[in-house]
Amino acid sequence: MPVSELRFEYLRDGGGDRLEVIERDGEVEDPGGTLINEWTPIPEKRSWARLYDDGGRYRLWIDGSGSFYIDPRTPSVELPTGLESTVKREERLWGIPALLCFLGRADHPLHAAAVEVDGEAILLAAPGYSGKTTLAAGFAAAGYRVLSEDVSCLRPSSPPTMVPGPAMLRIRRDVADRLELPGASEVAGGDDRVHYSLDRASRGDCRPLPIRAFVLLRLADSGISLERVPVTNALRELWPLSFRLPTLEDRARCFQGVTALADAVPVWNLHRPFRLDLLGDVVQKIVADA
Amino acid sequence: MTLRKNPKATYRTLAAGGSGVLLHLESGEYHGLNEIGCRIWELIDGERTADDIIEAIRAEVDDPPATLADDVTGFIDAMRERDLILAST
Repeated sequence: MPVSELRFEYLRDGGGDRLEVIERDGEVEDPGGTLINEWTPIPEKRSWARLYDDGGRYRLWIDGSGSFYIDPRTPSVELPTGLESTVKREERLWGIPALLCFLGRADHPLHAAAVEVDGEAILLAAPGYSGKTTLAAGFAAAGYRVLSEDVSCLRPSSPPTMVPGPAMLRIRRDVADRLELPGASEVAGGDDRVHYSLDRASRGDCRPLPIRAFVLLRLADSGISLERVPVTNALRELWPLSFRLPTLEDRARCFQGVTALADAVPVWNLHRPFRLDLLGDVVQKIVADA
Repeated sequence: MTLRKNPKATYRTLAAGGSGVLLHLESGEYHGLNEIGCRIWELIDGERTADDIIEAIRAEVDDPPATLADDVTGFIDAMRERDLILAST
């Protein structure tokens, strides 16, 4: 839960672990640090970004945004000022900066959307642009609570739980034109997506929920089916979707986390055609059988 | 020649069926182990040789097959090739 004088669009109710968020005007002179990861730009989809490790503190530089300074030990995040809208900047905050803070408290970030069904979380796991946010929007349109739309914070506790993330959905324009999201308001756009802030009355709080299942999204020519995935196969699928730092120590941490999760939670392959007219049927299949 | 676990390999036992998984932290390669494979991994402690491990498994298994020594040796050789275990003279 951010402790800050700034205004946030995507927060949920209730408390949670404290995160200090402040603005920083301008870049630090001679920031130092070792480059540990770089994301090359993809037009309309991904900005150019670099992540630096400065002895336990991190600097995330994003082209067009500026630098975010993250200290998972405090935990705190310093946001750049001036270059982007406050909504866009908040969305950046809930990306890599938040993930680094999750790692700092031994949580496990996974590239997955999540929805609540009967008091439990179902994780919709897939790489980028595989339809997980569209499917999450399908759940929202059917009246289910969306817990996260791109990256989920998991706790390899006993039983494993999921901590609800920002109450946002960034969906493709053609999907947004076809779906009605009750109570959601459009707060940004301009790229290939419409950015929604979920209904304030029903977005709920951020208390952790037990995890009912992982659903791995697969493309099928026809038909909608679910098949159970053995644990060792599930590990191979969940490993590349797990956010981790390029150190041996963090790889070991990630391995223990993803193994504990796959060992404790059923994992399913969902085969479905990527068609909007079948979205409701896909939602029903997951609710009934996963 | 005694055998020891490579510190760059990490292991976890799975809940069902006595199986386990190994990950080589540098290569990122996963390896699934069955119950016997897990037991061999446990016996690799920096003090035992391959022959010691073969005899330990022979003592633990009901009706050990005639190929036991070859099977265990083959498994150990495969783990060495994958840099999961190291040999010390």
